[in-house]
Amino acid sequence: MTGTPLTIAVGFDGSPDAEAAVRWAATLAAGTGADLVAVHAVGLLEHAGIDGRATAHRQTVERIADAAGVDPGRVTWSVVDGDPCSAMLRVAGEHPEIGLLVVGSRGAGRHHGSVLGSTSLELAERSHVPVTIVPTGRA
Amino acid sequence: MLIVAGPTGADAHDGGPYHPERPGRIDAVMAGIGDLHLGSDLVSVAADPAPLADLARVHSTSYLNELEAFCADGGGDLDPDTFAGIGSWEAARRAAGAGLAAVDALRDRGDGVAFVVARPPGHHAEFDRAMGFCLLNNVAVAAASLTAAGQRVVVLDWDVHHGNGTQAIFWDDPKVLYVSTHQWPLFPGTGRAEEIGGVTALGLTVNVPLPAGATGDVVRLALEHVASPAVDRFAPDWVLVSCGFDAHRDDPLGELGLSSGDFGRLARLAAEWAPGPGRLAFFLEGGYDAGALRSSVATTLGTLLGGIDGPESETTGGPGEDQVRATAFRRHRAIELAGESAPMDL
Repeated sequence: MTGTPLTIAVGFDGSPDAEAAVRWAATLAAGTGADLVAVHAVGLLEHAGIDGRATAHRQTVERIADAAGVDPGRVTWSVVDGDPCSAMLRVAGEHPEIGLLVVGSRGAGRHHGSVLGSTSLELAERSHVPVTIVPTGRA
Repeated sequence: MLIVAGPTGADAHDGGPYHPERPGRIDAVMAGIGDLHLGSDLVSVAADPAPLADLARVHSTSYLNELEAFCADGGGDLDPDTFAGIGSWEAARRAAGAGLAAVDALRDRGDGVAFVVARPPGHHAEFDRAMGFCLLNNVAVAAASLTAAGQRVVVLDWDVHHGNGTQAIFWDDPKVLYVSTHQWPLFPGTGRAEEIGGVTALGLTVNVPLPAGATGDVVRLALEHVASPAVDRFAPDWVLVSCGFDAHRDDPLGELGLSSGDFGRLARLAAEWAPGPGRLAFFLEGGYDAGALRSSVATTLGTLLGGIDGPESETTGGPGEDQVRATAFRRHRAIELAGESAPMDL
């Protein structure tokens, strides 16, 4: 990464690790004046209303960003169909101003300790922009 | 003649009573087949676990090893949608094996139509990951077994969701033509008209995204206007259908407007694409309303086998006709642009 990213995208699925990622990204955004894009991937169950918590998730992100001192006008909530990794990659691809992707080390529903289904590792492998993986318990 | 492959062992894959991809789906499918009263025209074939060599044609060895170990360790949630339990590895291998058995049975008999009663479903599963309820890509395993023998395969995917896994697996494969109609926007977010295949298979991916509420006449237009010309040029040896019945208007996971009668019409179109008898197999993908699933299976197969006429008439008048025509244009333009930098040979 060269210089300060103009826009930071952070994945959020409601998990404690995702909250830590948003806190870390919001702190960086507040300190650098970067915009913050929170990306929420909508899967099959959430679309069907079986696991619908998007509204609550948005409020959580806005609360964390506000607490970190990010101007609310610089925070964007983006809901994207797909799996979390593809959603982050798609948002980054469609918005070249995004210079950093931030995710928690383990999202909702992931099996602890398994490489299988690891959004963070897959994202780090496939992304063309820098990725920060916020470990459990940080921020 | 109807060849039914599976569903041995599918009950072992169970995400609990609140998950829509549940063992009871098999009961609905088998009830739909039973409604046809086919008697001796119904042939059941056993679904042995797919050999690892067949799975490895479309999945990485590391993924297969990890998935097996994950299940053996008790499993869990692989993502917010997708689960795997201790019995899921065996069930998934049998689901993929059912597809192989169906193709073998068709080839041996040289006649009939096959239905693969597979769960977990497969078309979202990619080379190295599970996704969207899918662990192993059943239709891709079967298609790859055919292309390995030099055959050319059309995969028609009418599930309400785009089959990202199947598309990605065959992106650069000149022996597979992948055709998908699907609701857009919707999970998994892939399936734009401009996604036309890789440099060695330009034009061999055909995506027709449809708006919510699209009816059967719009899907038929998509297949006849956009896909059929590509199928004619491709001249397949086999047609495999990823038949997701979640495109039905009663399904809780999508918002397309199809009836069971529409699936019968689509099945006839698929049969017209096949080069002759014994070259058409249907693979269960989605479909989460038990009543819609039962009637759709019965009508899809009954239309081809002459058993019954479906209770639901075909649907018309939904949105999407303009979108289909625009898709044809955008797809053509994308192929032209891509062809300027790479040769295209359909």
